[in-house]
Amino acid sequence: MTTETTKMTARSVQVFYGDNHAIKDVDVDILDNTVTAFIGPSGCGKSTFLRCLNRMNDTIDICRVQGEILMQGENIYDPRVDPVQLRAKVGMVFQKPNPFPKSIYDNVAYGPKIHGLTRSKAELDEVVEKSLRRAALWAEVKDRLHAPGTGLSGGQQQRLCIARAIATNPEVLLMDEPCSALDPIATAQVEELIDELRTQFAVVIVTHSMQQAARVSQRTAFFHLGNLVEYGETGQIFTTPRDPRTESYITGRIG
Amino acid sequence: MTAVSTLLMLGILATLGFVLGRRRALASVQGDSRRLHSLPHYYGWAVAIWTVLPASVLFLAWQTVAPLGNAGGFAVLALALGGLVWAWLRSSATFRARNAVERAVMGLLILASSIAIATTAGIVLSMLFETRNFFSQYDWTRFFFSTTWSPRFQGDSDLGFLPLLWGTLYISFIALLFAVPTGLFAAIYLSEYAGPRLRAIAKPLIEVLAGIPTIVYGLFALITVGPLLRDYFAQPLGLGNSGSSVMTAGLVMGIMLIPFVSSLSDDIISQVPQSLRDGSLGLGATKSETIRQVVLPAALPGIVGAVLLAASRAIGETMIVVLGAGAAAKLDLNPFEAMTTITVKIVGQLTGDTDFAAPETLVAFALGLTLFAFTLCLNVLALIIVRKYREQYE
Ligand SMILES: Nc1ncnc2c1ncn2[C@@H]1O[C@H](COP(=O)(O)OP(=O)(O)O)[C@@H](O)[C@H]1O
Ligand SMILES: [Mg+2]
Repeated sequence: MTTETTKMTARSVQVFYGDNHAIKDVDVDILDNTVTAFIGPSGCGKSTFLRCLNRMNDTIDICRVQGEILMQGENIYDPRVDPVQLRAKVGMVFQKPNPFPKSIYDNVAYGPKIHGLTRSKAELDEVVEKSLRRAALWAEVKDRLHAPGTGLSGGQQQRLCIARAIATNPEVLLMDEPCSALDPIATAQVEELIDELRTQFAVVIVTHSMQQAARVSQRTAFFHLGNLVEYGETGQIFTTPRDPRTESYITGRIG
Repeated sequence: MTAVSTLLMLGILATLGFVLGRRRALASVQGDSRRLHSLPHYYGWAVAIWTVLPASVLFLAWQTVAPLGNAGGFAVLALALGGLVWAWLRSSATFRARNAVERAVMGLLILASSIAIATTAGIVLSMLFETRNFFSQYDWTRFFFSTTWSPRFQGDSDLGFLPLLWGTLYISFIALLFAVPTGLFAAIYLSEYAGPRLRAIAKPLIEVLAGIPTIVYGLFALITVGPLLRDYFAQPLGLGNSGSSVMTAGLVMGIMLIPFVSSLSDDIISQVPQSLRDGSLGLGATKSETIRQVVLPAALPGIVGAVLLAASRAIGETMIVVLGAGAAAKLDLNPFEAMTTITVKIVGQLTGDTDFAAPETLVAFALGLTLFAFTLCLNVLALIIVRKYREQYE
């Protein structure tokens, strides 16, 4: 395993939706070049916490976030930080594949174009190709880059969304149940891809499948009713959980 | 026997049929309604329908040929009674009353939709007929290609359609030039930026504009906008001194069209899935980049549909043009000049002393048919585009 540098640090994070206290005092360290899995019964706040990491919660009117989340020493909730730029550094892949109604090429080129990452068409072509290759999609779409992205299969669409997120050159990649809308074969492809992505990014994945967490992650955080119950090495969480609630969840007694 | 009393009797017979049919069905199973094929009231309805339906067909047929009179009234009632008895005899446990009523309801629905279609066909046919009369008296090349419009009721008129088409298109163009950006921007603000409370107030307020009668818009054009444009734009710029102008009618018509564009576009923009916006925001796009590059392109076909519907409204508008742009048929580029449209001239040719054999009157039908063909094409185009858009997210 590579050296473990901390990429993001969350300290006493609280999230409220109106009066609903959805995240209670959570501390987590996200390590670089590591896949961190968030598991827990549905409604426990995994997605909510994930959205804190790229400030997507800002787009929900009633949502309030307290506490601090540091990225390389800087609090991302500091007023000086522009959430729009933060999101270019912390990419996100959603539960349901959501390609734009544009061509495959334009989907991937979207981020580089709005952030002005390339200076010429040739350079943009290169970024698109590289991102599609990293998302293990290049071979399947290289002959139809100008076909609509919405015409791909579900698994291909999700890999397209991953390619789109990679293309903006992020440092952290957040994935909210990226396989829940996919069939087993597409799921296996995406899982393989996630393992491969860790060489370059810090990956955070929300999943409801414990097998998936065990397969792809090195670190696991178990959430329950808005609390972070246990956080540690994936192997340790699954073999010798310290908290009785974690144990009941992974043995299938709550959830 | 009068028509009214016949109908009254028919109603009484139908009610009687309902009660009797229901009772006979129940009696056939000794009151145990679970053994009936259908719920008891269906048997009542089946008898009532058989009482009314054949009798009213006869009633209508008799009325169109001659006044009903006593003979007719009795014939109708006899038929109703016959229907009642026949259906009543069938009311037993095995009769599928529910399915029979279902068929009658379907027939009613078919009748309603064919009335709408038949009316359209009737309108087109009557227009076609009169238009043919017109073209048998007036050369069609002169109608479609002549650039002067000067009807004279003594005969020997110039009935060139081009100045009217030009006026129609010019005024509609100015109206859309004003209404499309305003309506679209209002829709974007309301659907993407405004909070729910502001939206709940502003949206109905904009839609109030759509409920104002066009004659009121016309008055507004005549007494406010027209003089204003004349005094502050046309005269200082040396572009004429007419209060009625293409600009006046175009602007006021544009105001009228804003709610059409904004309300339809708003619906269409709101239909764009939130997941697309999240995807774009998650890549670090700002809100306006997201709107411009993801939301609007996704909604574009629907917006084009909305604009085309607004355009066909503009082309068919009459009142605002009469009061805002005048009635002078002219081919001119100056937007501060009075001009007129096809619809205004149709009204003009058909009011006053009209002789339905003269080409000066019949030309109205040729104009109407051309206009109809024009707006029909626009509407079909709009429908195709809107439908295509619907498929995108299904
Ligand atoms: N957009 C929202 N508005 C209001 N409440 C929300 C919203 N999203 C999530 N919540 C609430 O926050 C809690 C955690 O939800 P979520 O983070 O989606 O859970 P998970 O992803 O673990 O299933 C739930 O109680 C949910 O009702
Ligand atoms: Mg979730």
